[in-house]
Amino acid sequence: MMANNFVVALAVLTLSGGALAQDDEADGGTGQALYEANCAACHQYDGGGVPMMQPELILSPKANGDVGEVIDMILLGSAAVPAGMSEYSNEMPAFDYLSDEDIALIASYVRTHFDNTGGAVTAADVSERRALHSGE
Amino acid sequence: MKLQLLAVLMMGAALAPAHADVMGVDENAPVSEETGIKLAPGFRATVFADGIGSARHMAAAENGWVYVALMKPQDGFGAVALHDSNGDGVADERVPFAEGMIGTGMGINNGFLYYAEDERVMRWPLPEAGAPKGEPEMIIEGFPNKRQHSAKPFTFDADGHIYVNIGAPSNACMEKMRTKGSPGMDPCPILEDFGGVWRFDANKAGQTQADGVRYATGIRNAMAIDWNPHAGALYIAQHGRDQLNTFFPDYFTDEDNARLPAEEFHRVDEGANLGWPYSYVDPEIEGRMKMPEYGGDGKMTSDIGQSPLIAFPGHWAPNDLMFPRTAALPDDMQQGAFIAFHGSWNRAPKPQAGYRVVFVPMNANGEVSGDWVTFADGFAGEEPVMSPRNAKHRPTGLAEGPDGAIYISSLMSGGRVWKVVYDGK
Repeated sequence: MMANNFVVALAVLTLSGGALAQDDEADGGTGQALYEANCAACHQYDGGGVPMMQPELILSPKANGDVGEVIDMILLGSAAVPAGMSEYSNEMPAFDYLSDEDIALIASYVRTHFDNTGGAVTAADVSERRALHSGE
Repeated sequence: MKLQLLAVLMMGAALAPAHADVMGVDENAPVSEETGIKLAPGFRATVFADGIGSARHMAAAENGWVYVALMKPQDGFGAVALHDSNGDGVADERVPFAEGMIGTGMGINNGFLYYAEDERVMRWPLPEAGAPKGEPEMIIEGFPNKRQHSAKPFTFDADGHIYVNIGAPSNACMEKMRTKGSPGMDPCPILEDFGGVWRFDANKAGQTQADGVRYATGIRNAMAIDWNPHAGALYIAQHGRDQLNTFFPDYFTDEDNARLPAEEFHRVDEGANLGWPYSYVDPEIEGRMKMPEYGGDGKMTSDIGQSPLIAFPGHWAPNDLMFPRTAALPDDMQQGAFIAFHGSWNRAPKPQAGYRVVFVPMNANGEVSGDWVTFADGFAGEEPVMSPRNAKHRPTGLAEGPDGAIYISSLMSGGRVWKVVYDGK
């Protein structure tokens, strides 16, 4: 419950803070709504993933790790994982077309739910990772 | 008048339930506490082996040894040989083999044990007992290293050929992989080297894909593949595409996506086209449907691809197909098909479904002769399954022993193989 409130609070902060969402459709979406629209089909609504196919997000090392780890998965998809290093057979597309704000909301939702305690990330974190990957 | 009468008669024939004499699982029957599953009347099961790892396709030898491919190495081995030496229905010998490998296919042909990894198919002389020894002989090598649908299940005809599933490393041949609204590539270039069944010489070492013949195309992924020895033809059940609602929410609701597309069961003759990625099957509409990546809207039909023999419910994930070859089963089951469904993941937020083994009654010509029934059920252990990880077991492989026993594998909960026998009780 606290975690949910936290995400809502984060969403309100992000939007009221004047940050412009680049993706109109996703405006105002909370982390959970964005997760369910973009991620839940494969990673499941409970974050349980699919054995052998799509990783579970519950107690996920990435979601409890460095700020950039979940962001990188969203920005790059499977390409974030070195070839031959994945135990999962499905491929994840890049969601780099989502706005920094939306990616921050999704990453924060994943990092503060599904028994993860990695903590929230910001749109600035996403922007930084995006710049890093594009070689800027 | 005559035409109208004929039409009415035809409609009646289509609507009337076919008369299969085969009884399926009693839906109200309890799951066996001992085995965790329930079976069609007249059959009983034992837990043949437990904790063997990520069990997938299997093969059983004349001497009763059962060979199981493991999709994740177990203590470093990609396969295990199992044997029940005292006849109590439980394997008491367990010999790992295929060290350092990952098994995605297993079969026996012409005195050899065949085993596939994603990138190659190999064989050993079938041992008199236990695991095969020595270096395997490489039959086909160099399949491209892909992740999606890269498993290589296979089967054999009676004329020295091996038929290998080369799944499409794609969901629906989208220009941008699994991305909302992306159109499909047209023509789909993936079909050149993937998305079909290729035929090779089963006895020639050192082949590459270029030595094979593309036997059939338009097949997204056929984990369930077997030669029907009664009809002398190849049969497959293929996994339909995922995520119609995610990528095309204007045309498909969550309910639509839970139902669509059908999982298709086909007879596959040489040159057959099963329609992927251009078309799919909606069981409620005649013919095939145009895929939304190619301009479809959930209502437009397509003339690309043959119609399936059976359209099974969406996302059930057929993972193995087996035609029995012994005479141990009741007469009306000896020519039919068993299909192991791994169970769905892409029905969320609706309940997942399909964690079962079904039986399709068929005649000697390989035609479906009655309604399919559920042969074994209860694997998931809870109903409804909302998230696939909660399914206790998920059927993955099938094999028939020399005594007519049917082996069913599952890769969940540490991996298990059941032995199912018919005793008529």
